Amino acid sequence: MAKILMVQPSKCASCRNCELACSFAHEGVFNPNKSRVHALVWERLGLGVPLMCMHCDDAPCVEVCMTGALHRDEEANGVLWDKDKCIGCKLCISACPFGNASYDSETKSVIKCDLCGGDPECVKFCPNEAIEYKEADKGMLTKKAMYAEKFKKIFEEVE
Amino acid sequence: MEIIIDGKKVEAQYGETILEAAKRNDVYIPTLCHSEALPGLATCRLCMVEIVENGVTKRVASCSYPIQSEIEVVTDNEKLRRIRKTLLKLYYTMAPNSEMIRKLMEQQDVREFNRCKVDTENKCTLCGLCVKACETMGTNAIYTVFRGAAKKVGTPFDEPSEPCIGCGACASVCPTNAIEYLEENGTRAIWGKTFKMVQCKACGKYFATEEEIAYLYQKLGDDIDIKKCETCRKKANANRFIAAIKAEGF
Ligand code: SF4
Ligand code: SF4
Ligand code: SF4
Repeated sequence: MAKILMVQPSKCASCRNCELACSFAHEGVFNPNKSRVHALVWERLGLGVPLMCMHCDDAPCVEVCMTGALHRDEEANGVLWDKDKCIGCKLCISACPFGNASYDSETKSVIKCDLCGGDPECVKFCPNEAIEYKEADKGMLTKKAMYAEKFKKIFEEVE
Repeated sequence: MEIIIDGKKVEAQYGETILEAAKRNDVYIPTLCHSEALPGLATCRLCMVEIVENGVTKRVASCSYPIQSEIEVVTDNEKLRRIRKTLLKLYYTMAPNSEMIRKLMEQQDVREFNRCKVDTENKCTLCGLCVKACETMGTNAIYTVFRGAAKKVGTPFDEPSEPCIGCGACASVCPTNAIEYLEENGTRAIWGKTFKMVQCKACGKYFATEEEIAYLYQKLGDDIDIKKCETCRKKANANRFIAAIKAEGF
């Protein structure tokens, strides 16, 4: 079983260390705007939601990418972006239903979680284990599926 | 298989181009029109190398010449340098204000020369990358066209091109930044066409052209919802998370 990124909002202290670690690892700067993960904070509820690319199985971003720059990588068990193959149409940015990809015009780059080659920085620098990178065992997958079901319903309610 | 590049034995795969093999082995070959996303254009000829194959010496464009036998490659000699210099002078007259051309000239030791015939407005070297990018998008909005004696890249009859969605891929791949692309006050303009942009339902930011959204719906089907900008889509997703957590009761 391959590993996946799991987030636990109840553990997130909204310190946003993950954003700094991510932007530093990828861009060499501490700049949340260049981070691939964003911790959205609900102060009143005392919750934080660290969000990054979900590495969808049927990823819309992959589907719209005409050059194969965005592709599913079996080994990484994720959706990866190949800079050399990108022609900068930016359609993937609008295609992602979760807003998890953005475009940096300065560097002509799609900014999106790449799982850090299998050793995610956000996981290493989160002091509260709110982001974990774990083998997806059978139990977890079921939970994920359950969650997705619920999600779908709530989705409709929230919209 | 093994080939020789500049006197050094290197590993190469059958069928890959000389440029690919050189790159992997850290041998630099100058290019202008080469893009890994849109390979094989071979119009700029700057990547010319000399090879010996079956005892025959010839010069080929390394970006598109496939390795099929144990050839010997020379990437730099007097003759190749002369060819590159001549080409760069030509490109300089076509696009004197392009940073990319200036960089290549400096690198290949071409000094500025008689500027009387240069076209200071133009930046296009007719490499064709933009046309190929648009073709790849499936939009086919621009072509290499002939106007009298002059070849140029443009839209049919220089009119705003119907199929153009304003994505700007053409401008993004252009090595000399020759394609103007302007975004202001809720519009985007490219190739003489002005697009109305769509506003995010939540924050009001202009985030895509109407045509881009139509293109996306056509590709992804109608169940996808593209009414918000990426930042607001992310917020909506976080909201869903919170709602799910509250529903689960933890
Ligand atoms: S960028 Fe968006 S659409 Fe693409 S895999 Fe990640 S979450 Fe899915
Ligand atoms: S911007 Fe690049 S990665 Fe995104 S869809 Fe276009 S070519 Fe693919
Ligand atoms: S902006 Fe228009 S011409 Fe340029 S690649 Fe997109 S569709 Fe083609």
